[in-house]
Amino acid sequence: MVFRVVQNFLNRFKKPKIVSIDIAQIFEHFQKLLQNNQRVMELIADLGEKSGGEYVFDRKYLVDMVEELHSLLLHMVQELNFISSNKYLALYTSLDRIITQLETELRGRLSFGQETPIAVALDKAPLDRPELIGGKANTLAIIYCNLKLPIPPNGLVITTRAYQLFLEANALEDRIYALLESWVNGERDEHSTSRQIRYHILAGIIPKEISKEIEQWVDKRDLPKRWAVRSSAYGENGELSFAGIHETMLNVPPKEIPYAYKRVLASLYSPEALVYRRKMNMLSEEAAMAVIIQEMVHSKVSGVIHTVDVSGENPDSLVIYASWGLGRTVVEGRDVVDRFIVEKVAPYNILKKEIATKTISIKPAGISGEKEEMLTEENRELPTLSEKDIVQLVKWALTLERYFKYPQEIEWAIDQNGEYVILQSRRLVIPREKEFSQQNITTLCDQYPILFKDVGMVVHSGVGSGVVAKISSDSDMENFPEGGVLVTKFTAPWLARIVPKASAIIAERGSAAGHLATIAREFRVPTLVGVEGATERLQNGQVITVDAKSRIIYSGRVKELLSYELVAEPFPFEDTPEFRLLRRLYRRIAPLHLIDPSSPDFTPEGCRSVHDMVRFIHEKAVEELINLPKLLQKSSGVHVYTLESEIPLGLKILDLGGGIDPRVIETGRLRPQDIRSVPLKALWSGLSAPGVWSTEPVSVDFTGMMSSLTKTPSEASAITSPTQFNLAVISQTYMNLHLHLGYHFNMIDTRVEPDSYHNYIYFRFVGGVTDNARRSRRAKLISTILSRYHFKVDLKEDLVVARVLHLGEEDMIRRLQMLGRLIGFTRQLDIQLQSDEDITNFIKAFYEFEYCH
Amino acid sequence: MERPLKILILDDEPIVCKRLQPALEKLGYEVESFTDSVEATRRIQETSYDIVITDLKMKEIDGMRFLEEVKSRYPKTEVIVITGFATMETAKQSFRKGVFDFIAKPFKLGELQEVVNRAAAKIRGES
Repeated sequence: MVFRVVQNFLNRFKKPKIVSIDIAQIFEHFQKLLQNNQRVMELIADLGEKSGGEYVFDRKYLVDMVEELHSLLLHMVQELNFISSNKYLALYTSLDRIITQLETELRGRLSFGQETPIAVALDKAPLDRPELIGGKANTLAIIYCNLKLPIPPNGLVITTRAYQLFLEANALEDRIYALLESWVNGERDEHSTSRQIRYHILAGIIPKEISKEIEQWVDKRDLPKRWAVRSSAYGENGELSFAGIHETMLNVPPKEIPYAYKRVLASLYSPEALVYRRKMNMLSEEAAMAVIIQEMVHSKVSGVIHTVDVSGENPDSLVIYASWGLGRTVVEGRDVVDRFIVEKVAPYNILKKEIATKTISIKPAGISGEKEEMLTEENRELPTLSEKDIVQLVKWALTLERYFKYPQEIEWAIDQNGEYVILQSRRLVIPREKEFSQQNITTLCDQYPILFKDVGMVVHSGVGSGVVAKISSDSDMENFPEGGVLVTKFTAPWLARIVPKASAIIAERGSAAGHLATIAREFRVPTLVGVEGATERLQNGQVITVDAKSRIIYSGRVKELLSYELVAEPFPFEDTPEFRLLRRLYRRIAPLHLIDPSSPDFTPEGCRSVHDMVRFIHEKAVEELINLPKLLQKSSGVHVYTLESEIPLGLKILDLGGGIDPRVIETGRLRPQDIRSVPLKALWSGLSAPGVWSTEPVSVDFTGMMSSLTKTPSEASAITSPTQFNLAVISQTYMNLHLHLGYHFNMIDTRVEPDSYHNYIYFRFVGGVTDNARRSRRAKLISTILSRYHFKVDLKEDLVVARVLHLGEEDMIRRLQMLGRLIGFTRQLDIQLQSDEDITNFIKAFYEFEYCH
Repeated sequence: MERPLKILILDDEPIVCKRLQPALEKLGYEVESFTDSVEATRRIQETSYDIVITDLKMKEIDGMRFLEEVKSRYPKTEVIVITGFATMETAKQSFRKGVFDFIAKPFKLGELQEVVNRAAAKIRGES
């Protein structure tokens, strides 16, 4: 390693010597670069797979992974610099930057740096940093940003970093520590300890940088005159429940917010909180308090939902408690309240409705704070919720429970305008033994008919149940039922928007590393792929239970298993520090930001992730190769063939090994039948199919339509300009193809092997001679067609970038054939696409044509 | 009904214990887990287990010594070794005798459950 570093260092001072380059060595390096590229992509896929919960891994795995990525990237940077005569030395800096970030993640981030924010808007808060924004804010941010459910408006989180600043500015850390120590040593009781600490906090001065943030936030939003100030301690709502231990201040006028802020900070040291933390063995750990400031919701009705009946009397049901006015009535038990028991499956039958004779309602007091008000005679007996209200609340409650994978205790409200809002959701603690007394869960599950067993791959572990909804078109998507089980042939990226509504996902094809897999994990939806025959054997409307942990699909709703998972499992794997770390690393490794090679960001400096780096290196390496054929003519050993065919492409072929019939070396002539490269063969068969390029008559209307569209008489003039090579770099399973057709440009990079794990197609299309509108039409047309073939497509004006991953050999070959036909048909289409209607007609005709193949 | 088999898990990475314990309990085993090998060693002096699952590389005692201790006290106890991928070969070489099976980390929960079920079948068959 040291040797390499020295070598790199020396390389930086070498002048590029193009003439003396050894061509054979360049190809050797290019091949190594391809192998390393492949290995990095495998590691990324591996990391994706590990984040699905099926695997048990430890920190060491993550450390080793980062180390291997580092070494692979370093090699790739060296190889590219060899091929390009040191054009990309800046990549060493990018590599350092990206690896440093990964190592920082590995070290953990509990110590805040200068750049850590003092305050963040709740709707922009980072979802993976509960240590910064505290448990409650983290939950609210997920509810709003991820699950798209309403929370009170205008929320600001004063972070735990601000809390640290506050302590530092008032020199409180040591004082608090000393007081806690004397309590633990039995020198004073919790009440006096708490009183002392809280006194110090309330007497403290809020540092300017914090009060400025609060003032600016409140001043900018002059409409709401009253605010709610809530605790969001680190650990609160997480694995431990701090229900009701910390302070919440309601109806706070702007001037009193700073004082309310200190009150909430001080509640971190209330006697209850101290005793609780000591009992939970957390006293030695650093306690930290973030605080949420949000607009006050003037609720007409409010209450709490328990997604499991704690009494155990009503299995598979949830309980809603409701009262008039603000939430304290229910939370603090100040009065009798209405109670509704509702089934957890659609249509959500109300099993019991207990309407209490209520006496009080809590209202905001005139200037600040709250007051109790006697209810009018009429309101005492009136139910607080309508059936419509109940159904709405139940649906949300189930969404929250599905996501968090614990029974939930949800505080909600309905404001004066009848709008619903979720105030918070936390883990509902249920005595474990109550539900499961030595029952063998496996035996209980055995009563249910098994539809599938030991099939498929786990993309995201867990258990979900609901009605089957098979999706194959947009209109199916519109009707997807809340909490349904998504059943589909392919894990196409366009399915992403219904993932949050699904209770489980089953796909016949797809991989643990695809785009949909990422989304399924984001929303923690149990997902199995590779379940052959699922779309045939499962019927719409049928109720099933998907156990993605044991890879079993049951007929019916396996209540026992669902409640076992919810109650008896001690924690969802997604919430462990290792999984959170994996996901944080993954976000710096896997996303691809560098999509467009012509964009100004497509530079070493623009690389933000590991994926960006390999993408950049690969692109540039291929670019170097394209300029090589001219050089190659003069060199011996490596031969570039020109494909002899009726299709006037002048395609040059460079074989890295196994891509062509060995006999070609003797004859020196390469014809289409000599191609052995699986991807090139597939593409060529599409490109050269009857009616695609040649003018021979075929029995489909499509070519008729094509000829009416492409009226340009002389095609040949627009094919290849002599300065641009059409080049395919191939091996038996690999192809990198650059095609300049007229004024536009296609690039395909693909690998097709028997094992789907390595397979991908990367397709890029850009350019055209006509005006922007028409070019964009063609790009739109291509992207529509490709997404129908389950590509993930990015479209930017006239640039189309499409990717498909991990399909089987057959599926890949079919797609390459289709790409061949598509390239053939669309080569001049932009001139003719005069209206958006032409796009629709073309797409329709293309499908019909494809159907015949 | 047969008595549930007793399993001891030892791995100094808490996440491994945290995930294995419920997964095996779900299959009906009685499970105790330890992240501290000293504590685990003390525990096996008090009581016997049908199956022991241990990591090889740990801070205090290494898994090898723990394994020897278990095997010398309770020759019938089946031991399953879980270890990092890199140390897999050494593991295989040094434990030709006595170890029921090896699993390389990271592993699928299902793989481990399967090995444990096999060990359990062997024990049930013998008793």
